[in-house]
Amino acid sequence: MNESTKTARVLQVLVGLFLLLAVAFLLNLWGRSAPRPQIPLVDPKFIDPATVRQSYADITAAKGDLSDFDCYGCHDKKKPPTLRFDGNQTLIIPQEHSDIVMAHGSHNRNNNCFNCHDENNLEQLQTRDGHQVSFADSPQLCGSCHGPTYRDWMAGAHGRVSGYWNHNVGEKTRKACVSCHNPHSPKFPGRQPAPPPHPLHPLAKPSGSTEGKD
Amino acid sequence: MSDKLPNSEPIPALDQVGMSRRSFLRTSAVVASGFAALAAGLEPLRNLNDFPTLERFMQKYYKEMTPEDMARVLKRIESEVEQQYGVRPHVRDYKPMDGVEFVYCLNLSRCIGCRKCVHACVAENNQSRNPEIQYIRVLQMPNGSFDMEKAVHDYNPEQVPEKGHFYMPVQCQQCKNPPCVKVCPVHATWQETDGITVIDYDWCIGCRYCEAACPYWARRFNFTKPSIPKEKINPNMSYLGNRPRRQGVMEKCHFCIQRTRAGRYPACVEVCPAGTRKFGNILDPESEVSYILKTKRVFTQLKEELGTSPRFFYYFDV
Amino acid sequence: MKTAARNYLIFLWRCARIAFVGDWRYYAWMGVLTLFCMLGLNAYAKQFAQGLVVTGMSDQVSWGVYIANFTFLVGVAAAAVMMVIPVYIYDNEELHDLVIFGELLAVAAIIMCLSFVTVDLGRPDRFWHLIPGLGQLNFPASMLSWDVIVLNGYLLLNVHICGYLLYCRYQNKKPARWFYIPFVFTAIFWAISIHTVTAFLYVGLGGRPFWNTAIVGPRFLASAFTAGPALIILALQVIRRVTHYTITDKALLTLRSIVQVSMLINVFLLACEVFTEFYSGGLHIASSRYLFLGLHGYHALVPWIWTAITFNLTAMVLLVLPLSRSLKWLNLTCVLCITGIWIEKGMGLVIPGFIPTPLGEMAEYTPSLNETLVCFGIWAFGLLCYTIFLRMSVPILQGGISKANEKEALVNTIFAVTEAPK
Repeated sequence: MNESTKTARVLQVLVGLFLLLAVAFLLNLWGRSAPRPQIPLVDPKFIDPATVRQSYADITAAKGDLSDFDCYGCHDKKKPPTLRFDGNQTLIIPQEHSDIVMAHGSHNRNNNCFNCHDENNLEQLQTRDGHQVSFADSPQLCGSCHGPTYRDWMAGAHGRVSGYWNHNVGEKTRKACVSCHNPHSPKFPGRQPAPPPHPLHPLAKPSGSTEGKD
Repeated sequence: MSDKLPNSEPIPALDQVGMSRRSFLRTSAVVASGFAALAAGLEPLRNLNDFPTLERFMQKYYKEMTPEDMARVLKRIESEVEQQYGVRPHVRDYKPMDGVEFVYCLNLSRCIGCRKCVHACVAENNQSRNPEIQYIRVLQMPNGSFDMEKAVHDYNPEQVPEKGHFYMPVQCQQCKNPPCVKVCPVHATWQETDGITVIDYDWCIGCRYCEAACPYWARRFNFTKPSIPKEKINPNMSYLGNRPRRQGVMEKCHFCIQRTRAGRYPACVEVCPAGTRKFGNILDPESEVSYILKTKRVFTQLKEELGTSPRFFYYFDV
Repeated sequence: MKTAARNYLIFLWRCARIAFVGDWRYYAWMGVLTLFCMLGLNAYAKQFAQGLVVTGMSDQVSWGVYIANFTFLVGVAAAAVMMVIPVYIYDNEELHDLVIFGELLAVAAIIMCLSFVTVDLGRPDRFWHLIPGLGQLNFPASMLSWDVIVLNGYLLLNVHICGYLLYCRYQNKKPARWFYIPFVFTAIFWAISIHTVTAFLYVGLGGRPFWNTAIVGPRFLASAFTAGPALIILALQVIRRVTHYTITDKALLTLRSIVQVSMLINVFLLACEVFTEFYSGGLHIASSRYLFLGLHGYHALVPWIWTAITFNLTAMVLLVLPLSRSLKWLNLTCVLCITGIWIEKGMGLVIPGFIPTPLGEMAEYTPSLNETLVCFGIWAFGLLCYTIFLRMSVPILQGGISKANEKEALVNTIFAVTEAPK
C-alpha cells in the first residue's frame, strides 16, 4: 500500500469512528448516573421543639387539663395521706398513683413523697425547711437542694433557653425543671436518635469492620 | 537591523499543498463527521440544571452592591423561589448590629446525641434533602478521649445516649482567624463584624479550596442541584443565610443569620431537648454565654493549637 | 507597519495550514487524539449539566483526579523550562534548539493545567470573578490567586519566547537579544515559582497535617525536575524518529543527568518524610498511615503508593548505573519515573490529605467513569496541542517553512492574489 492509499484508509476509518461516536453519544451509552437512592424525609418528631413533659405553668398557659393537680378531688382535706413501706423499706406506690416510679435519688434516698409534697396541703409543695412552694414555682423547690444547677438555670446555662437573645427585641424564656425532668424519676430519659447522615456516594465499609473503631 | 543567518538558500516549501478533488472530499468528510460527533457529544447540555441569565451572570459582589442593587436582587430571588417552589418568600439582607459579637457554648455533659439539632437546622435553612446536606455533624466519642479518629459518625442505636460515650456536635466554628476566608480566591467568604463567617452564594466559583482548608470539616458543597420538598421551604430568608442555594456553590452554618440578626436564637438552640446549646452576645455581660465563660472552669475550643480561634466553646459541668 | 502585519498574518496562516497536513501516521495519531477529546468533551458536558455529583468526589474527599493531574502537570510545565538553564547559563549548545521543544511542552502542559482547574470548578461560568479589576481576586492572601497569576503569566512568557524565536527563524533573522533573553531568565525563575506556589496551595492549610509540612515544596520541585525532563527525553526521541530533526544522543544524556540528580533528591526527601512521620508517630500521621499502611481497614491507596515507590527506586538505581546510558534502558527508566511520580504526586499527595477527614471520618475516593473520560480528554487535548506545536515548529526550524519559500507556498491562496509589491 502506498502512502496516499494508507492516508485514504486512515481518513475513512476516522470518518467511521466519528460517526460511531456520534451515535454512541446520542444513545447515551455510558456514564449514566444511577438514580439517587431515596432518602426518607425525617420524622417531624425530630424537629419538634416541644419538651417531653409539660409543667404546671405550661399547662395553665395552654389552658389545658389541670385535673391531675386536683388532689382534693379524691383526698380528704382533713386527713393527710399516710405512706406504706414494705419489708425492705421501699415505698409502696398506691394503685391510684401507679403511673409514678420513685427514682429520685439512688438507694432509696428520697423515698418519701412528703420530702417534696406537703401532706397537710396537697395543692402545695414544701421545701425541707418548711417553706411552701406552689406548683407554678416548682423550680424553687428543686433549687432548694440542687443549688449549683439552680444557679446555672437562672443564668440560662442549664436547660434550654428559647426566644430572643436580644432583650431589646423580645423575651428570653426558660423552661421549668419539670418540663424536662420527671420529678419522681428525674434522670433524663434516653430516646431514639434521628437517622445517621447519608453520604453522597455509598461509603465502602472495609471488610470485617464493626461499627466502632479500634 | 539584525543579520541574516548563514545558509539562507531557500528550501522548497513544505506546505505547498495541492488539493485534488478526491482529497478535498475526503477531508470534508472527516471534518463533517468530526463536527457531527462534536454536536452529538454536547447533547447533555440540553438538560442544563442551571444556566445563569445575563443578569445573574453579571451580578455584583455583595460588598459592592448599593442598597438599590440589593433591593433588586432580593426581589429577583423572591420571584425565582416562588417560581421554583410555589412559595413567595420574604428575603432580606440583614446587617450586623453594633456591639454584638456572637459566641456559642456547647455543654458536652448534656448532649445525648439525638441529632434533633441536625434536622432542625436542615428545616430552618432550606438545605438539600437529596443529596443530603447537613451543617451539623454529631460525633459519638468514647469516654476519656478527644481523639476524633475514635469518633463514630453513623451511630444508630435504639436509645441514645449509649453508656461509655459522650456526644460532640461539630459545625462551623465561625473562627476569629478563619482559614477558609484566607484561602478563598475570590473573597466569596468573609467574616462579618458580629463574628459570623458568611458566603455570598452568587459570587462563589465552587473551587472547594475553603472545604480543604477548614480544620472542622464544616463547609458543604452543592454537588448537584439541591432538592428541597416544596412544603418544607422556610419562607423567612436572608441573602447571606438560608435562601436556596444553587448547584456548584459552597454553604455552611451561618448561625441562622436570618434569626440571630433579628434577635432570636438559632434553630439548633431552640430544638435541643437537653439544653446543651447556648448562644448569645459575648459583649453583653448578662448573656448566658458570658456567664458560662466566666463561671465554668473546664472549657475548650476544638483544635485550639491551629490558631483559628473558634467562637465555639465546649464545656463540661459534671 | 501594514507589511509587517501582513507578513505576520501569512506566517500564522502557514502555521495553521501545516497542522492539517501530514502522512497517514499523523492523521491516525491526530484522529485518535481527537476521538479522546470528544469523549472528554461529552463527559464534561454531562458534568456541566448535572454538577460534580457525576464525579467520585464528595464533601469528605473534595479534590480528586482533576487536581491530581493539575499538580503533576504544573511540575511538567516548570521542568520543561529547566532545559533552558544549561543552554543560557552554561552555554550548552547541544540543547540550544531543543529549548523550543521544551518550552512548547511547557505551553501544552499549562494549557492542560488550566483545563483541569476549569473542569474542577463548580461554577466555571463565574470565572470572571478571578480577573483582577473585574472580579475580586484575593491577592495576596489566597494561594490560589497567586496560582492564577503565575500560571497565566508563565503561559504568556513561553508563548512570547517561542513565538518570537520561531518567527525570527522563519524570517531568517537573528533574534534581538533584548527581546527574548530577559524573558528567558524571567521564565527560569517563574518556572520555580509556579511549582512552589502550587505546593504552597497545600502547605498553607493548617487543618491538614499531611500537607502542612515544609518538605512539600522541595519535594514538588525535585519530582517535577525528574518527571519533566524524563517526558522531554521521550518526546525528543519521538520527534527525532518522526521528523528526522537532528537531536544528538549527547543532548539526551544531558537531560538524563538532570533526571538522575533530581530523582536522587526526590528519593532522599521521601525518606525524610517517612522518617519524620513514622518515627515520632502521633495522631497527626493518620493520613500517612492510611497511604502507606492502610488505616482502620481502609487500604485502597496502599498498592498504588508501593508501586510508585518501587518504580522510583528502580529508576533511581538504573539512573545511577551506566546501564541507563543506553537508550533502551533510558526509555524504560523514564517511563518508570513518569509513572511513579504521577502516582506519588497525584494520588499519593492529593487524596490522602482528605483521609481521614478533619473529624476523623474514613471515606475513600474512586474516580467515576465520567471523571476518567474528562481526564483522558484533557490529556488528549494537551497532546494534540503539543503535536500541532511541533508540526508547526519543526519545519520552521528546518527551513521547510520560511519567508524565503513563502511565494511558492502561497500559490492559489488569497494571499497570493493580494500580494503587495516588494
